[in-house]
Amino acid sequence: MPLSEPMLTARDVHRHFEGLHAVDGVSIEVMPGRITGLIGPNGAGKSTLMAVLAGTLPASSGTVIFQGEDITRMPAYQRARRGLVRTFQLPSEFAQLTVLENLMVAAPDNRGESLLGALLGKRYWMPDEERLVAQARGLLKRFGMSAKESDYAGTLSGGQKRLVEIMRALMLRPRLLLLDEPMSGVHPSIVDEIAGYLETLRDEGMTILMVEHELHMVDRLCDPVVVMAQGKVIGQGGMAALRKQPEIVEAYLVG
Amino acid sequence: MNTYYAANLLIFAGVDIIACLALNLQFGVSGIVNFSFIIFQAAGAYAAAILSMPPDSAPDYSFQIYFGGYQLPFPIPWIGGAIAGGLLALPVGLVVLRRLRADYQAIALLVTSIIANTVINNARPLLNGAAGLALVPQPLQDQVDTNTHAYQYLYIGLTAICVAIIWFISARIVNSPYGRSLRAMRDNELAATALGKNPSALKMTMFIVGGAIAGLSGAILVGFLQVWAPSTWLYPETIILFAAVIVGGRGNNVGAILGALLVPVGFEEVTRLLTRMNVGPPQLIPALEWICIGLFILGFLWFRPRGVAPEPRHVFPGAPVTEDTHWVEGAHAS
Repeated sequence: MPLSEPMLTARDVHRHFEGLHAVDGVSIEVMPGRITGLIGPNGAGKSTLMAVLAGTLPASSGTVIFQGEDITRMPAYQRARRGLVRTFQLPSEFAQLTVLENLMVAAPDNRGESLLGALLGKRYWMPDEERLVAQARGLLKRFGMSAKESDYAGTLSGGQKRLVEIMRALMLRPRLLLLDEPMSGVHPSIVDEIAGYLETLRDEGMTILMVEHELHMVDRLCDPVVVMAQGKVIGQGGMAALRKQPEIVEAYLVG
Repeated sequence: MNTYYAANLLIFAGVDIIACLALNLQFGVSGIVNFSFIIFQAAGAYAAAILSMPPDSAPDYSFQIYFGGYQLPFPIPWIGGAIAGGLLALPVGLVVLRRLRADYQAIALLVTSIIANTVINNARPLLNGAAGLALVPQPLQDQVDTNTHAYQYLYIGLTAICVAIIWFISARIVNSPYGRSLRAMRDNELAATALGKNPSALKMTMFIVGGAIAGLSGAILVGFLQVWAPSTWLYPETIILFAAVIVGGRGNNVGAILGALLVPVGFEEVTRLLTRMNVGPPQLIPALEWICIGLFILGFLWFRPRGVAPEPRHVFPGAPVTEDTHWVEGAHAS
C-alpha cells in the first residue's frame, strides 16, 4: 500500500438522533503514520463521529472505508479485531479487574479465549497466556505502571485510568487508534507524559485520530487537523493555516 | 438423624450447589441478571420426567395427561434434562439478550418466568397442568430396590458426581482467559466491545451453558422427589438462588457453594425445624422466612456487597509485591 493511500476514509457520513443532525455529511481521510486532530466546539459532533467510525453507533448514511474495505455495516467488535480500536471520553476501565488483567482482556490470539479453549484447561492456553503477559508487562514498564499491575483498575486515579485505556488499546496492536480526549481530566504532569507516548507511537508508524480540546496539545501533536462545527467539517489542514481563517476561529471561539 | 433425612439434606444441597454454580456463571461472572433462572431447572425436571416415565396411557399413569413418556434408562433422562435446559436458553436468549439493555433484560426474564409458569399451570394436556407430574421413576429403579439405605447412598453418590463435574466446568471457565473476558463484559460492556469482544455471543453462550446446568439440577431433583408441578418452580425460587449467590460472593465459585449451603439449604432447614416446633400460627414461619431472605439480601448488599467469599483478585505469577488492596464497593467513582 503506497503511503499516500488513506488508512481510513469517511464519505458523506450522517448520523441523526430523532431529527438532530449530530454528524451531517462528514467526509474525512486519515493518512497513515500521522496523528490527525479532530477539534471543534462542544456539540460539534466529534464524539459521535468517532463512535460512527468505531462502529459503536451505526451511521445513518454514508460510507466508512478502512484499509480499502467498506466497514460501514460492520459491528464494532469486528472492526476492533481488524485493528480499528477506540478509547472513550469517559474512563471505561474494567473496574473489578486488575491493571494487568485489563490489558490481558484486549490481547488477541489467546487460545483460552473460547469456551472450548477454557474447558481444555491451563495446559492448552498457558503458553499463549505467558507470551501475552510478557507483552503486557512490556507495555506497563514503558508507561511506568509496573508497580500497579495487581491493583484493581477501579482504584486508580483518573490519569492512570487513561494510561490503562491507552495500553489496553495498544495490546490489540491497532492499525488505527481513535482517541477521544485522552488527556481530559488528567493532571498536567501526566498530560505531558501521555503526549510523549503518543509522539513515540507516531514515530513508530502508528496512525492516530484524536479528539482534543487543548489547542497547545493539538499544535504539538496533530498534523493535519480537522475542524468540526454543528455536525459539519468546516476546515482542515495544518494548524498554522487554520488559525488564519477567520470563520474557523469564530466558530471555535464563539460556537 | 435418620438416613432418609440426611439423604434429603445432601441431595437438596447438591442440587442447590449445582444451580448456584450455574447462576454464578450467568450473574456473578457475566453480569446477566437472569430472573427466569428457575424455568431452566423446571425444563430439565420436566424433560427428565417425560423421558423416564411410561406413556400416559399406561395403567398406573392414566390419571395424568402429558406428552412423551419414553421410558428411557438412566442416565438418559439426566442428560436429556441438561439438553432441555440448554435448548430452552436458545429462544429465550435470542429474544431477550440481544437488543435489550441489561435492566430491561432482567424485567423481560422475570416476566418470561411468570408467563412460562402460568402457561404450564393452565395448559393441562401439556404436562398435567397445576397437578403436575407424579410417579416419576427413580434412576435405576428397574435394577435396584429403591427402598433401601443403599439406594439413598447411591443417589447421594450420583448427585456428588454431578456436583464434581459442574464444579470442574465452572472452575475452568472462571479461571480462564475466557472467564476474564466475561468479567470484563460484566464491568463495562461497551469497552469490551471496543476491544473486539462480542457481548451477544458471550452472553448467549453463558445463557446456554447455565441453562443446561440448571436443567441437570432439575433432573436430579425430579428423580429424587418423583413429583414435579408448577408450584415447585414459582419465580421466588429464583430470588432465593440470587440471595445465595449474593451472600456467598458474586463471581466466586466457592462463594456460590457457600451461598447454596447458607441460604436455600440453611434457611429451609431452620424453617422446617421451627415449623415442627409449632412456633406461632402455621403460616408465620414460612412468611418470616421470606422476610429474612429479603433482609439477608439487603444486609449483604449494604454491609458486605462482595459476599462471604468475595471474587478473588487475580495476581499473575511474577507480579511485583504490592500492598493487599481490597475492592470496596462505592469507594471508587467510576
